[in-house]
Amino acid sequence: MLATVGQDDIDRLCDRAAQFIASGRLAAARPLMNAIRRLAAPSARIAELSAVLAIQEGELDAARAELDAGIAAWPEHPGLYVQRAGLSRLEGDAAAAAGDAAQAVLLAPGHAHAKALLGTALLDLGRASDACACLAESLAAQPDNTLFRLALSTAQTAGGDPAAARATLREGLERAPGDIACRRTSMLIALQNGEYAEAVALAEAATALGIADALIAGMAGHALSKLGRHQEAASRYAEARELGPDDPYVRHLVAVSGAIPEQGAAPADYVRAVFDGYAPIFDTHLLGLGYRVPGLIRAALLRHSPLARGEPLGPVLDLGCGTGLVAVALLDLPVRPLHGVDLSARMLEQAAAKRLYASLHQADALAHLEADQATYAAILAADMFCYLGDLDPLLAAMRARLAPGGLCVFSAETGPPGEAPRSGWGLGRQGRYHHSPAYIRAAAARAGFAVLELTPEEQRQDFGVPVPGLLAVLRAG
Amino acid sequence: MAPRFPPWPAKPEHDGRDQRVAASAKRRRAAIAPAPPDAAQWTAAAATLVASGHLLPALAALGRAHRADPASLDLALRRAELACLAGAPDAELLRLEALTAEHPALPAPLAGRAILLHRLGRNREAAELLEAATALAPEDHRLDALLAGVLARDHRLPAARAAFARALAADPADHELRHDYGVVLLRLHQPQEARRELEAVRAARGDDPQLLCNLANATLCCGSQDEAHDIARQALAAYPATPLAHRTRLNTLPYLPETGAETLRDAARACAATLPRPARPPRFANARDPERKLRLGLLGGLLKTHPVGWLTLAGFECLNPAGFELVGIAPYFPADQLARRFRAAARGWIDPAGKSDTQLAEEIRACGIDILIDLGGYGDTGRMTACAFRPAPVQVKWVGMQTHSTGLPEIDWFLTDRWETPEGFAGFYTERLLEMPDGYVCYTPPADAPEVAPPPMAARGHPTFGCFCNLAKVNARVIAAWSAVLQAVPRSRFILKSHPLVDAEVAARIRAAFGRHGIAPERLELRGPSAHRAFLAEWGDVDIALDTFPYSGGLTTVEALWMGVPTLTLPGQSFCARHSLSHLSNVGLGEWAASDVADYVAQAAARAADPASLAALRAGLRARVRQSPLCDARRFGANLGTALRRAWEDWCRR
Repeated sequence: MLATVGQDDIDRLCDRAAQFIASGRLAAARPLMNAIRRLAAPSARIAELSAVLAIQEGELDAARAELDAGIAAWPEHPGLYVQRAGLSRLEGDAAAAAGDAAQAVLLAPGHAHAKALLGTALLDLGRASDACACLAESLAAQPDNTLFRLALSTAQTAGGDPAAARATLREGLERAPGDIACRRTSMLIALQNGEYAEAVALAEAATALGIADALIAGMAGHALSKLGRHQEAASRYAEARELGPDDPYVRHLVAVSGAIPEQGAAPADYVRAVFDGYAPIFDTHLLGLGYRVPGLIRAALLRHSPLARGEPLGPVLDLGCGTGLVAVALLDLPVRPLHGVDLSARMLEQAAAKRLYASLHQADALAHLEADQATYAAILAADMFCYLGDLDPLLAAMRARLAPGGLCVFSAETGPPGEAPRSGWGLGRQGRYHHSPAYIRAAAARAGFAVLELTPEEQRQDFGVPVPGLLAVLRAG
Repeated sequence: MAPRFPPWPAKPEHDGRDQRVAASAKRRRAAIAPAPPDAAQWTAAAATLVASGHLLPALAALGRAHRADPASLDLALRRAELACLAGAPDAELLRLEALTAEHPALPAPLAGRAILLHRLGRNREAAELLEAATALAPEDHRLDALLAGVLARDHRLPAARAAFARALAADPADHELRHDYGVVLLRLHQPQEARRELEAVRAARGDDPQLLCNLANATLCCGSQDEAHDIARQALAAYPATPLAHRTRLNTLPYLPETGAETLRDAARACAATLPRPARPPRFANARDPERKLRLGLLGGLLKTHPVGWLTLAGFECLNPAGFELVGIAPYFPADQLARRFRAAARGWIDPAGKSDTQLAEEIRACGIDILIDLGGYGDTGRMTACAFRPAPVQVKWVGMQTHSTGLPEIDWFLTDRWETPEGFAGFYTERLLEMPDGYVCYTPPADAPEVAPPPMAARGHPTFGCFCNLAKVNARVIAAWSAVLQAVPRSRFILKSHPLVDAEVAARIRAAFGRHGIAPERLELRGPSAHRAFLAEWGDVDIALDTFPYSGGLTTVEALWMGVPTLTLPGQSFCARHSLSHLSNVGLGEWAASDVADYVAQAAARAADPASLAALRAGLRARVRQSPLCDARRFGANLGTALRRAWEDWCRR
């Protein structure tokens, strides 16, 4: 026990706390941080560490309060701005993030992390070429920083220069062939661009280096099956499954190949597990894969709802809201209040951080509708029907919760051309349910809806391949 | 290796004089106002209440004592211990959390919470709290000692080793701490260092069965089989009724050149007879339906990246899910790739940490296990002793210290194959033999194994023999045989690779042993440990693997095959003497078995003299292994299901 506490002791304790936080040992960092606050006078470093810990613990409000007070007390300390910029970015406020990151760069021009944060914030704001400039400087200062490198490649892709992005990643792999994140991203870009042989070569190089990674094996399986090398693809899928047996994303990837038996339906646990594991990267991943549905829903509402006349729309229920992509798409429209429902707690945390929903509920969509007493002007379901087979119960429950004339807008997957169910619905090779337009039309009529639109729409890209589907707009009769 | 606690004082800690002073002070204060009791008085009250069996009031008194002196580590630890005794750990945890909030800079309440969490099986959180406590009080070695104990229990061995070293540097005379440190070193494959620590403990404070058992194992792993056997004999002479003494002997016997199958069976039987077991065997409620879905329990052992994992996992994964479901009854290692596969294949998991054999057996029975498969034996993390309580109606021994018969009358079956236990071998076993149609194991090759290298003989111009086994298996007779091979093949070299060879003393002893047979040191290459992939890659330096005897290679032989290197073996009668024969036969290389030492030497020389055949074999070996029953998980899973079903039907008929 520290009898008398000097600044050296405090510095040592802060160093230990920083180590604990960096290694994810939060249960050790928390009591130590509490002790430091008892033993030491407030300082910029303590405020910064406390905020970092609070962010790691998911206590975002506490972190923000800490940082606001810290910046008021020590306005010259760049680390506080860096942390607040990161927090703002986490909460989806790119403009605030850019402002704080810029302030940190002004205070500490050599701060590579601050510069990189500014770059990513600029990218969020759609300023890809400014972002590239910032990130290139950060990377030049720390060429072995994988996060900087991945961010630069993303900015280059967004700026319409995939060749530069590929060169950035290639250089990263030359510097550190064992960098798994860099290799995964390179493979993903190759797959998105249909360069399957390149993806296979990247995976083979990994194997030669002794890298055994579930995602790399899984993506190699996809690339090989695209090349028609089904035997090799099967063995890569099996390898992926061995390396990541309890990784829901890998399981999903492998289920697609038929290497593990399909369940009769995607059970609630399965859906929850897939998305809980996926939540932090869901937005970037889906948007990066060209997920268009939120935008389609926005356009549909602008065509058919009171929004068309400039009037507000509400209340609105977002079923399977996930991380809140639909809410983001509706951000500037008078859609209030917007309520969200999803099975995955992790997804809901991300949705909550966006602060766009009046309420969020962790529940199964059907169960929630049956328990809910409210009446809605519109009920939306983006990329959710692919986890359901028979749509009758859900459509009936949606109808029951809609005001007369209320809108039901949802997306569905129709399956690839050869596999699309001629009538009714079926489980596709992708492990997702497909519904035929005729079936949806009939089910809508059975539930008491008038069909306003049933438009074929590409849903998103799945490893570079468009996923065919439709957008349905129904009106409660 | 549980964290230890300060003993209860036999009497209140202060002497009579203090009491008198305190009493007079109290009288004086009483004239003004009633004084609250201090920590020592509350502690004394708690001790009295414990002695009279009033545990909850004692706990409350101790809580008051601790509130009066929150910096006391003794009080915090006693609280934790008493809370567990009184069956109220959760409530005490909350109280200690409140105390931490009040005194955030004190390490003692953190340590108390950590020990409670440890007792509740939450070792990871316990270790983190203790790390915070050690940061706050870096000079208090007792916290390092507690941390070391928790880390060791959580199987985080390198971190435990560092914490033990810190604690011991501060208090070199703590023998129990040193003993636990030695065990961690042994588990970390540093037997020579372990041996030094354990011998120091023995010299300082004398023997006990646990110390002798660990010392014998450390000595054995250094390749000193005779000395290890001596220690085991001393243990048995001093503690003849103690199971641990018998286990010590049973651990050393299979490595001695002269040990036969009957000796092993009888020693196992003698050991099993000392185990505690219920007077009457329990009755089972398991439905006697021969066709129903069966629940299998996988007991003990290291269900992870370990021989048990590599040799059993694929078979378990490929059991028909309609016929069998799995429950793991073993520590879980979340960061381990194979452990995660076991977990994914299992329907349930029971953590045996902190449970006695009776408690564990009770839990297994309550879980409705139909067939219990022991995968740990008498090993470090094994719980085979719980089988004596008959937790399941059918009990089977499989991989995991499966050296030979278990000797346990409660183990009904022994999973084997026709090469391990050919016609006429049943008498060497106390169990009935449950024979698999192919080999008795199924190998999961690692996804990142390097490619098979070209024959080193071609580049070097001379053959290289090698053995990558546990040094415990390398006895004097084996070294004599290897030396004879080197004499018979004049320019040949030998690579011996094993963890303890990194130690100069061990390496010198091995060199000297070869030297006594006239082998010059430059013909030997002794290699220490390496990471698994690099280990596999080193088979690229070897033309022919030479097996040990009587304890043959197991996973090592299989891995060598995968890396293109055949093993020449000399099978004996006991189970562990025939592992290599089984694996080689399973891939169609049964002719790589010698009939005696002379034949072993002659075959080694003849095969080394035929580089063309060796090269052809090497080039096709991985494909051959991949296509053989050894790697055919589906076929193995189906056969395993049939065998287990046979054992179950037998019970249903009884």
